[in-house]
Amino acid sequence: MSERAGQLGRVIAAVWRISLAEAIAYRVSMLMWVLTTTFPLVSLALWSGLAAGGPIGDYARPDFVAYFVAAFLLRQFTASWVVWELSGQIRDGGLNTLLMRPMSPMLYHAIQNLAALPIRCALALPIGVVVLVLAGGLVWPSPGSLALLGLSLALAWLLNLAVHVAIGCLAFWVTESTALFEVWLGLYLVLSGASVPTSLYPAGLAEVVRALPFHASLGFPVELAIGRATGAAATHGLLLQALWVAAFGSLAAVLWRRGVRAYEGVGT
Amino acid sequence: MTAAMVRVEGLCKRFSVPRREAGLRAALRALVRREYRVVEAVRDLEFSLAPGERVGFLGPNGAGKTTTLKMLAGLIVPSAGQVEVAGFTPSERRPEFLRRVSLVMGQKRQLSWDLPAIDNFEFNRVVYEIDPAHYKRRLEELTALLDVGEVMRRPVRQLSLGERMKCELVAALLHGPQVLFLDEPTIGLDVSMQLGIREFIRRYNAEHGATVILTSHYMEDVAALCPRILVIDGGRLRFDGSIEALRRQIRPLRRVSVRAAALPDDPTAMGRVVLREGGRLVLDVAPERVPEVVGALVALPEAQDLAVQDAPLEEVMRALFGREEAAEIG
Repeated sequence: MSERAGQLGRVIAAVWRISLAEAIAYRVSMLMWVLTTTFPLVSLALWSGLAAGGPIGDYARPDFVAYFVAAFLLRQFTASWVVWELSGQIRDGGLNTLLMRPMSPMLYHAIQNLAALPIRCALALPIGVVVLVLAGGLVWPSPGSLALLGLSLALAWLLNLAVHVAIGCLAFWVTESTALFEVWLGLYLVLSGASVPTSLYPAGLAEVVRALPFHASLGFPVELAIGRATGAAATHGLLLQALWVAAFGSLAAVLWRRGVRAYEGVGT
Repeated sequence: MTAAMVRVEGLCKRFSVPRREAGLRAALRALVRREYRVVEAVRDLEFSLAPGERVGFLGPNGAGKTTTLKMLAGLIVPSAGQVEVAGFTPSERRPEFLRRVSLVMGQKRQLSWDLPAIDNFEFNRVVYEIDPAHYKRRLEELTALLDVGEVMRRPVRQLSLGERMKCELVAALLHGPQVLFLDEPTIGLDVSMQLGIREFIRRYNAEHGATVILTSHYMEDVAALCPRILVIDGGRLRFDGSIEALRRQIRPLRRVSVRAAALPDDPTAMGRVVLREGGRLVLDVAPERVPEVVGALVALPEAQDLAVQDAPLEEVMRALFGREEAAEIG
């Protein structure tokens, strides 16, 4: 048993090394990626402008700064791009290489994703710091909430990954799986809290939006980071996250298993 | 004879492909109701291979040879029938099975583009759980044989097609697979590189006793490498045997050619005349009549350049895959 665990650890380390080297080789495109995710900073400019005349809801101007900078940074920590890789590999037969290795292709994708995160964060962090210094509004999470934040980020990352794998696996059957992901992304931008804190939605609608997986994958960890989700609200949010991870994780696992059986191993 | 390394029984693969007429109207109709057509890529294949055999799958494009190879490698799941490779069912893709086989695809790169090949090799060492001492020995052996000692330290994207292919082979062989699947391994390579790769595969097979299964469009690859040939056409097995047996079966006549000062008046009595031009005569002659015909031709005035050959391989293949003649065998 510990022998297997040791081997798993070595494999993870090896994938990590090779992925890190790849991520460094792709650092320029990685920077471009980070820049394309600066959307929350655009929202920041918009909302802090609107809040200049007085607070909106319970968000004053500095609150918006803290919120959106956190949203920008936490999105880097939880980012996934597996849907592009996976659907591409299914369509062009690149998946063959992964399937022939004596290790799970899903584990490979997950670690590859994880290994690139530090570089993304290193690229994003200076941007966040500059914005904070210029706009003010720095909020340090309390040490106690830091552990919860870590857990919440891990769940948000897993949720994103599961959604990516589930949608990516649709490429086993249809050619338009990435188009479906664009739809998901559109909803994500509106409903995750990336463009507006979900608590500012009108009463009634807010409760619905805050129960959806979009909020679980970004809005909730952000609120946790800036101290707006504490006590029962924090526990509730974490449970909701775990629930969505379980739901999309099972969906992804089923689609992957059935997809591999339907796979046609494209390419002569 | 030892137990079979590869055993295939009643193997079938059906694909359903969306069917659609050309044009916008058909495209719109397909949105509402998709029609599928079932393509039988492989039908009722049956064969078995002994450990250490070198076998070539031969057939025209779309014949089902790559589909068969992918079912043996476990990449695609058969629609019906049994496959057993090294004692495993490939489609289950158990790690123990995957560690015993390797697949090299000439048209697909498997090495990471931006890293030197040596990083890829090191990665394989961990993933395939290769013992470090064993790994070092094998790496030295393979890199020396393929002469990639320098090449493997440059990023893969900077390598020529041939250099990259050599590195792909090293990566595929480090874990010492018992069965090596090669899908068009020499495609796009120049002649000397083709020869080098071919020679390497033969040598590797001889020294390590691995079973080698190859598909190739290049007849010469298959002829030079594989003592046994499986001809697959229309998803069916049409021939199983040596290249010589295949040649004799398709083109049983021998080609006899000679140059002489004067040619016989009626050469059609000796065999079918392929060419009669100036002082040169080329005949297709039944094997049992060859000694007699050769005797007669040698006796011609100033006879020279007498040669007896089998029909050229390309001609055999043309005959084999020309639809009207395909019925001749099998």
